[in-house]
Amino acid sequence: MDVFLTSPWIPPEWVRAHGLQPRGLGSAENFPPGAQPLSAGICAFAEAAVRFAEARTDGAVIFSTACDQLRRGFDTAILRGQRRAFLFNLPATWQTAAAGRIFRSELERLGEFLCAVGGRAPSPEVLRQEMAQSSRTRERLIESAAASSPRGFAEAVARFHWDGAFWPPPPAAPAKQTPLALVGGPFLAPHWKWLDELEAAGGRIALNATEMGERSLSPVFELEAGADGMRQSSTVGRDSVEPKLDFQGKSQGSTESRPAVTHPVTDAFRANHAFDALVRGYCENIVDVFQRPNTRLYSWLKTRLESRQARGIVLWLFTGCDLWRAEAQTLRETFGLPVLLLEAGAEPGAAPRELNRLQAFAETLR
Amino acid sequence: MNEAPRKLSLDQWDGRYEQLRRDGLREPAYGGPLRRHVVREKDFRLQQLQFDNSPAALRLWNFLLTENERLHQARAGGEKIVGAMKDLGTVPVMACALPGARAFYPDGAWWTPCLMECSDKLLQQAERMGLDASFCPVRAMLPAFEHGGHFPRPDLLVCSAGAVCDDFSAIAQRLEHLGHSIFWWEIPRRRHPDFGETACPLPGNLAAPKTQVDCVRAELQRVAGALGELAGITLDNDRLAAGIRAANQARQLLDSLRRAVYGAPAAPLPALEMLVAEMLAIHFCSDRPETIAVLGGLLAEAQTRARRGQFVAGAEAARIFWVNPVADLRAMNLLEELGGRICGSDYMFTHALDLIPENLPPLEALARIALADPMAGPTSDRAARIVRECQAGRAEAVVVSRIPGASHCAREGEIILEMVRRKIGIPAIELEIPPVCDALRPSLASRLQALVETARARRPQ
Repeated sequence: MDVFLTSPWIPPEWVRAHGLQPRGLGSAENFPPGAQPLSAGICAFAEAAVRFAEARTDGAVIFSTACDQLRRGFDTAILRGQRRAFLFNLPATWQTAAAGRIFRSELERLGEFLCAVGGRAPSPEVLRQEMAQSSRTRERLIESAAASSPRGFAEAVARFHWDGAFWPPPPAAPAKQTPLALVGGPFLAPHWKWLDELEAAGGRIALNATEMGERSLSPVFELEAGADGMRQSSTVGRDSVEPKLDFQGKSQGSTESRPAVTHPVTDAFRANHAFDALVRGYCENIVDVFQRPNTRLYSWLKTRLESRQARGIVLWLFTGCDLWRAEAQTLRETFGLPVLLLEAGAEPGAAPRELNRLQAFAETLR
Repeated sequence: MNEAPRKLSLDQWDGRYEQLRRDGLREPAYGGPLRRHVVREKDFRLQQLQFDNSPAALRLWNFLLTENERLHQARAGGEKIVGAMKDLGTVPVMACALPGARAFYPDGAWWTPCLMECSDKLLQQAERMGLDASFCPVRAMLPAFEHGGHFPRPDLLVCSAGAVCDDFSAIAQRLEHLGHSIFWWEIPRRRHPDFGETACPLPGNLAAPKTQVDCVRAELQRVAGALGELAGITLDNDRLAAGIRAANQARQLLDSLRRAVYGAPAAPLPALEMLVAEMLAIHFCSDRPETIAVLGGLLAEAQTRARRGQFVAGAEAARIFWVNPVADLRAMNLLEELGGRICGSDYMFTHALDLIPENLPPLEALARIALADPMAGPTSDRAARIVRECQAGRAEAVVVSRIPGASHCAREGEIILEMVRRKIGIPAIELEIPPVCDALRPSLASRLQALVETARARRPQ
């Protein structure tokens, strides 16, 4: 069964270890599904996710709490009768042990849900293999990011989110184009042609930091070296910005024990290194705008904006996305770069007005 | 001193105030004529409002409109000021448990553009700071922090994160970027306990998994540590328990007031004053003992009027349940002008109206009340409470009032309205009220009028 994930921070490795097929929702064919009538304030991505969940009753859809729109979109999906939907509580804070405990507990719950919809209880070894596999693919994608064609890279990352496979992105054609960064929310297939248009206008996305770009590849696992060649610790293209936290199940300062859970492998996994590494690998490396504070996003961007010599930032968001919209000014102030705000509305694909603005931005910075 | 209840304009209140003074009105230190808030604070909106004519209402308005002044005085007197953000009802209970500390919600600045009829230009300043009209009017908080002139800068800023409104979270993050350090704490999205999972009952007829309660309790323990450090005193269980008892005293009074007004066959107090009174629950308008006194005065007034059969809206008024606070206070007057009255409300902080359990360890009790936040859980939970209270209050119609730009409003209205229609089948509408709604008054009035007429038409002949 296909299990569609609305966020890159919901581990596909965990789904695959349950014998189910994780699919990045943003990579799904025909997503978003055509123009949709939207009520005031509704984000087109969240609405598309709700409609997708309604239509795909043969699969399961995992929503996340990363934003109000998806969180409440889940409520709508349930109200409309979708029973194979799950809401994954992504903690907003990250500097305390509580965040790790929430994430861990949500993975356990997700495991129960996956078993309930037809998955099988995973073994630690299977999980470890899945983590090793996805880790290798992420690394290869990250290594290729700087030198790849922007569109090819976007396609390769989307492919990874769709089926976990590595398809080497074609190298960028040598040209004197203005390097830009694309920062923001989900950048979907209907929008990829903007990358071509941008190149034609003399610009090039040197850093794709959208939710479907390089930023989504940041999870990294520290597994004990094993037969699969998993390294002790990864540093390639990644920042370790925070101290390690206590992600064990027991609450610090709490004398009460955890309640019994019904996931058949939970107890085994609680003491299992691979599961612990999965929790840490995500919690310590999520780079996103919804985190509080969102300084990790800015640290991540700073390194890459400098190394890719970005001369401007294209801030990409869906209309109704307050979280990204509010960052426009902070991005300008922090990096001292011009920022162009580009909005995706209800119509999939590139709106002529927005395309014009993008071309003008590239021309201005040439 | 006592007059039959009626509503007065600000001009009429000038005369009424003089008469009350002549009759020997005794006022607290923040008392005085309402007019001075227009003259000194430029609260021009007061000139467009209709106020209740009781001394209790006068005290309520003066209490509300002097909050910034009282906060500055407290700061000058050496007290520590805590800026609580977003949780609407929990952190202030903790802060007020410490001697020499008081808490307020900078979020409250969202009413400043309304009160000052945008003459303060806070919304325009917010736009220049990167927050345009696509954000909720709470964005007024940002320039209020940056440029001062409203509330004092808090000694400690505490903000909940997680299951909160995106626009608020984004504004708070912007505030931190501008150099105002924030203590963030996690409020997870409340969910129903899974099969076999240990469940904890929450106020408001809700339940949450024990793991979530434990998580929030641990987060509030961190908050308690930060508050204690600020005050130089440990915020221990005894202090917290005393704080909870005092908070419950205010909540009990408010509960009695709501029952006395919303449950009466006709309204002994106006909708506008009731909205303001309910707002006192979230942080006691920076002064808990005075909140208790103000609420006590309103309750006595409501009970006296009900006993005498004196009302501001008669039994013929359509009984309306109102969801979400209004960005323009004038809207509450408008409803009554059009023949409606409030018989129940959910102004987004029903968890601040419920009693905090006193039979639990204090942080556990506070964690449960924080998790009972209607905005932190499924919208269907909120809608279910609205349905229950509509039934209890014999509501004839529901208004879901949208807050412009608020992320939660994009979807919740649809869910609430659908559940109301499906479960109790009463008419319901959604409408949006901007900080100054004069330009929209004709369309708002027609929609409200239509609702009121529909509700009345459904009455048995």
